Formats: sequence, structure tokens, C-alpha cells
Amino acid sequence: MSPVEQEKIPLFKKWRYWYWLVIGFLLLLIVLFYLFTKHFA
Amino acid sequence: MNFSGLDWTVLVLTLLLIIVYGVYRSRTSKNLEGYLLSNRQMPWWIVMLSIMGTQASAITFLTAPGQAYSDGMRFIQYYFGLPFAMVVVCIAFVPVFHKLKIFTAYEYLEQRFDIKTRLLTSFLFLLSRGISTGISIVAPALVLHSMLGWDITFTNLFMGGLLIIYTVSGGAKAVAYTQQLQFIIIYAAMFIAAWWALKMLPQGIGITEALHIGGKSGRLNVITTGFTEKGFDWKDKYNIWSGVIGGFFLALSYFGTDQSQVGRYLTARSEKESKIGLLLNGLVKVPLQFGILLIGVFLFAFYQFNKAPAYFNLAQERTLKQSVNAKEYAAASQQYDQLQAEKRNTVVALGNALQHHDKTSIDQLRTQLQQQQQQATAVRDSIQNIVKKTIPDSDGNDTNYIFLRFVGDYLPNGLVGLVIAIIFLASWSSIAAALHALASCTMVDFHKRLSKKTATPLQEYRWSQTYALIWGLFCIVVAQFGHNLGNSLIEAVNILGSWFYGTILGIFLVAFYLKRVGGNAVFTGAILAEITVIIVYSLNLLSFLWLNVIGAVCVVVFAGLTQVLFFRQSGKQLQAPSYTQPET
Repeated sequence: MSPVEQEKIPLFKKWRYWYWLVIGFLLLLIVLFYLFTKHFA
Repeated sequence: MNFSGLDWTVLVLTLLLIIVYGVYRSRTSKNLEGYLLSNRQMPWWIVMLSIMGTQASAITFLTAPGQAYSDGMRFIQYYFGLPFAMVVVCIAFVPVFHKLKIFTAYEYLEQRFDIKTRLLTSFLFLLSRGISTGISIVAPALVLHSMLGWDITFTNLFMGGLLIIYTVSGGAKAVAYTQQLQFIIIYAAMFIAAWWALKMLPQGIGITEALHIGGKSGRLNVITTGFTEKGFDWKDKYNIWSGVIGGFFLALSYFGTDQSQVGRYLTARSEKESKIGLLLNGLVKVPLQFGILLIGVFLFAFYQFNKAPAYFNLAQERTLKQSVNAKEYAAASQQYDQLQAEKRNTVVALGNALQHHDKTSIDQLRTQLQQQQQQATAVRDSIQNIVKKTIPDSDGNDTNYIFLRFVGDYLPNGLVGLVIAIIFLASWSSIAAALHALASCTMVDFHKRLSKKTATPLQEYRWSQTYALIWGLFCIVVAQFGHNLGNSLIEAVNILGSWFYGTILGIFLVAFYLKRVGGNAVFTGAILAEITVIIVYSLNLLSFLWLNVIGAVCVVVFAGLTQVLFFRQSGKQLQAPSYTQPET
């Protein structure tokens, strides 16, 4: 493994958990935006 | 719009702060690595702020609140593809770029394909980015001319000239550090402006009531599907599908293949720092943009209790009043004022109903408010038509002027100067990164690659500075010519970007994922895709966001087919790249 690949990833053990966090947060925002739209309409 | 001595003081001091800070932070080693990539020593948080500062131009901050005011918050969906793109850039692009230690994204294409593919892609980037950066200078200058009466030539020279000082002298390091400071000032000023709008609402009307007023007038349409009674509207610019799919391709192309962004995360001290910067951008971009759009909803609520101009562009309004269509404008304006007064009564009644939780009244008043809002929108549309008829250069769109008109009419002295300062800072933030990217590609992809002479590190550093200066001057010249063509040019440049972004992205997608496709095939595929994009655009079938998807898909399909049909036996092109994808 190269030094780059050996670098410790912050917060999680694998990068894929970071990717799921970003996608999951977007999906959560979309749901919240939907509820926001409905509530104030 | 009154611009007082205090406003001038705040503006000059803020701009001076940035220039001095930029020059102070510009000390770096005098070679290509130092000037173009800041010796690859930037931490993740500078990378993140630099990425965000590069993406957000002055028009972003001026237009977004106006967009929410006139069309609602659905514009936010334009950013829904961005987090997906950040993930793909981290998986596919960042490891390759870091492993190969490249200076420009297009350098990789020569290693993967051949020199002609590298030069074609770099040329497409220089063409579209060079023109659009010129327009990035003139767009805010046009707004400042209209609202403050500033001379456009002077504003172009002032904005472009000051920017050139620290970009040319400091390179990547100065760009990144000033973007960090610019970001803090911009968001602080926007927050103060939003707070001021809320503070001036009548007693008993707070954030919740302002949101109800906006929501019941159709301004909180954050999620829309694009489906009408006749099916899906392909020309609808902002809905969840065009945002997620079209926005994904646009963001992937922008962050993965546009040197003005690639150059930002290549400055990171490691692959990890690049990825964290990009992923955090993916986390915070949508909420931040939501906050900026929310300012437009607060302005909308504010103008339900205060007299809103029928047309927000001051200079064009003056021209209208002195034109042959003055009477027609006055009649439409009077009709708009009457509708505003009726709406105000409805909004006050709605506020009372909300306070007493009177559901029946709320439902009735909401329907009434929506009808009145439709009528008001129709009158504003008719005013825009009068503007187009009177001023042929104008598209009649006053969205860019809504926020600034509020600032000029209602914000106290000093704060007006700070808001004008953020127009400069946001412009500089994105233009500095673009100039730097243009200089990088010219130096690395063309000068260094094609020159037969060997230069010393100091000579390469000086050449890079010279190219940054030349591109800076070129952009000021484009800005000088650009303003003669009026507002329509701004939209034309957005479309110009969409012509090329998809094709450039397609070339990179083939490089990463179609390992059996070689240079001749991808070059042919890119030319055919570009022709297809221009044909589709000229037939006016789709909103421009979809051109990014079409361009990328066409390159992949045409390159694949060309490889299978014509270049099967070509040994060199069938070689897979030496790089292998790391495990994620």
C-alpha cells in the first residue's frame, strides 16, 4: 500500500462510510425540504 | 440609490484588507509547484473554502435571493446533483490526479490517450472559461452601473485590475487564503442583510409568519417534480429530476474536469485532505444555498408590508419613464400598486388567522392570496414585456436587482457599502481561481508541453505569472465588449458552458471506465458529441442543463462505437492505463 492509501481516514474506518454520509444527508435534506414545503403551503 | 461616505469607507477598507492579505500570504517558492499548486501543502478546510469560493460568483449572491422572491425556492434543486458528484469525484478522479502528481486535469488525458486529446480538451476549457470569466467581471459591473450609476468601463478596470494584483503576484496560495477571508465576510454580510429584513417586518410578524406568507404565496416550493397535466415538462429548468440528474452531470464535469476546481483540490497536502474538502462541500453546499434563497423569501414577506417596486432595475425603470411607452408603464405600475394594497390586506388578515389558528380562514385567505399573487405576477410579466419592447438589449429580467434594490432602499449607511463589497469579493473569489486555472493550462498543457527549450524553475514561474496577467487583461477586454451586448450575454455564456462541459466530462468518463477505448476513438467521439450537442441546442428541445447529460453520454457511446468499428486493431490505444483504481 502507498503512504496515501495508508493515511488514517477521519471519523470512519473506510471512505465508503463518508460517501454514504454525504448521500444520506442529501436524502434527509430532500425529505425535510418536502415536509417544509408541505407545512408552510 | 444613495452611496454615502461611510459606505465608500467600508467598501475601500474591505477591499484593501483582501488585497493586503492576498499579497501578504503570497510568499511561496518561485517554481511551478509553488505558484500553481502552493507546493501541495493546503489543509482540508482551506481546500473546502477555496472550492466553495470558486463556485460562488457575485451573481450567485445577487441572483439567488431575487430568484426566490420571483420564482420561489425551487432553484435549490439545481444543487441536488452536487453531493453525488462529490462522491464520484472522490472515488474516480482524486486518486488518479494525486497518484500521477499532475498539474492540470488534462495532463492525465495524454497519459491515458494521446497529446491531441489532451490539447483538444484543454483548448475547450480555455475557450469556454476564458469567455465566461470575462462575463463574470462585466455581470456585477452591469448591476453596479444600474443601481449606483457607476461607469462600466471604470468598474471593469477597477474590479479586474485590483484582482490581477494579488492573483498574478501570489498564485494558488494567495487565491486560497483570500478566498477563506472572502467567504467569512460574504456570509456574515448576507446574514446581517437577512436579519435586517426580518427586523423591519411589522410587530407580530416573525420568522414563522414570514415563512407562512412565503409558503402560501408559492415561494417555498423547495421540491417540485416538473410534471404538469400534459406530462413531464422537459423545458422546466428547476425540478428534482433536472436537479439530481442534470445537476449531477454538470457538477461532475465542473468539479472533476474544470481546472478552476481541480486546481483547488490539487493544492491539498494529501489525497485525504482533498477528499475531506470535497465531501464537506457536498455536505454544506445545499444547506448554505438554502439559507441564501431563504433571504429572498424574507424579502418577499417584507415587501408584502412595504411598497415593492413594480420593476427593480433602477436604470431601466428611469429609461422606461422617459420613453414613448411611459404611459403604458405607468398604467401597469399603478395596477401593480393596487394589487399590492389588496395583497397587503389579505396578508394582514392571514397573520391574524395564523395567530388564532383559525384553519377555515387560513384556507380561504391562502386561496385568495394565491389568486392575487398570480395577478401580480401577470402584471410584472407585462411590465417585463414593456421593458423588452422599449430597450431591445434587455431581456426584461430584473431578478439580479431585487436584493440590491432592497439593500439600497432600506439598509443603513455602512451596511450598503459592505453588501457592495461582497459583490467585489464574490467576483474576485471565482475570477481569481479561473485566471489561475487559465494560466496553469496555458503554461503546463501548451507552453511547457510544446516548447523545445528547457526552462529553469524561475523562468517557468515568471512565464506562469505572465500568462495569469495576459488572461487577466483578456478577460477585462471581453468584459469591455461584453457589456454592449446586454444581459442576454450572461445567459448565452451559461449555455456556452453547457455546450462543452458534457463533452469534456464524457472524455474523462471514457478514460476512467472504458479502458479498451483509445485516443483516436475518444477524439472522434468528442467531435461527434460536440456536433450533436449543438444540433440539440439549436432545435430548442430541452433546458440547457440536459445538454451536459447529452454531451457526456454521446462521447461515451460514439467513442465506444468508433473503437469497435474502426480502431479494433490499434495496439497502442488498447493499452489500459498504468493506474489501477484504489479500494474505497
